[in-house]
Amino acid sequence: MSDATLLTELLSAWEETYKKGQLTLWIFMALKEEKKYVEEIKTFVEEQSGQSMSCEEQSLYRNLRKFQHLGVVDFEAGKGNKGPERKYYFLTILGQQLLNKFIQRNISLFFNPKIKNLLTTEE
Amino acid sequence: MKTITKNQLTFATLISILTLAFRFGLSNLLDQRDFLLVWVLAAVYAILMFISGYFIGKKDHESFPYADSGFKFHLITFVVFVSVSEIWYLLEYNSVYEYIKTVHLTAIFWGIGLLVHYIFFRRTRRNAIKGIDRSEIFD
Repeated sequence: MSDATLLTELLSAWEETYKKGQLTLWIFMALKEEKKYVEEIKTFVEEQSGQSMSCEEQSLYRNLRKFQHLGVVDFEAGKGNKGPERKYYFLTILGQQLLNKFIQRNISLFFNPKIKNLLTTEE
Repeated sequence: MKTITKNQLTFATLISILTLAFRFGLSNLLDQRDFLLVWVLAAVYAILMFISGYFIGKKDHESFPYADSGFKFHLITFVVFVSVSEIWYLLEYNSVYEYIKTVHLTAIFWGIGLLVHYIFFRRTRRNAIKGIDRSEIFD
């Protein structure tokens, strides 16, 4: 196996593991921005992640159902562009608290200058 | 938490029909003393029950990962099988070679198995938040 192939394979394997569990953060960020219906959440996740995250609508619905059951997400019916009413999802107060705590404990550390410097890639 | 989900209701309906068909077939075959076909019927019934539980159970879990889903499917199977069988005997549709004692003994031994499953389920539930296993919340 050439070094280039090995690099691609390893990167792919690392990303597969890394991306597991990332969808929640992306969904929460999408809903933090504003209320969204499923299609908009999907577009947000894919565009803002630079297409590195992809999500099926079915998977989004499954996650949103769980989050609603847990009380971190809720929805309200709103008008769609055309056709039937849509479910516009939003973060509840508990959901906002959860996201804030998660960011504080797991994301903010990446903004520490030392870590930020280490994250700067060298070609 | 939902007492019974749509998929569990579909499963209960399907296995009620399967169990009724099984009891009907079993009693008739026994009356005809066709003992070899009884084994075939029992095997087909068991396979169909397993396939129903496997696929509807999988669909149920994919739709919403309640931690108690597996136990609920087991409980539904037990309740449907025992109820249909008891009613079958009550209405005296059974063959002369069938005895109510067999259903009662099945219910007792299977009931013990169900109880063991319940104890394991209670342990698993400790690891759940609002009925969803911790590992499945943010998967």
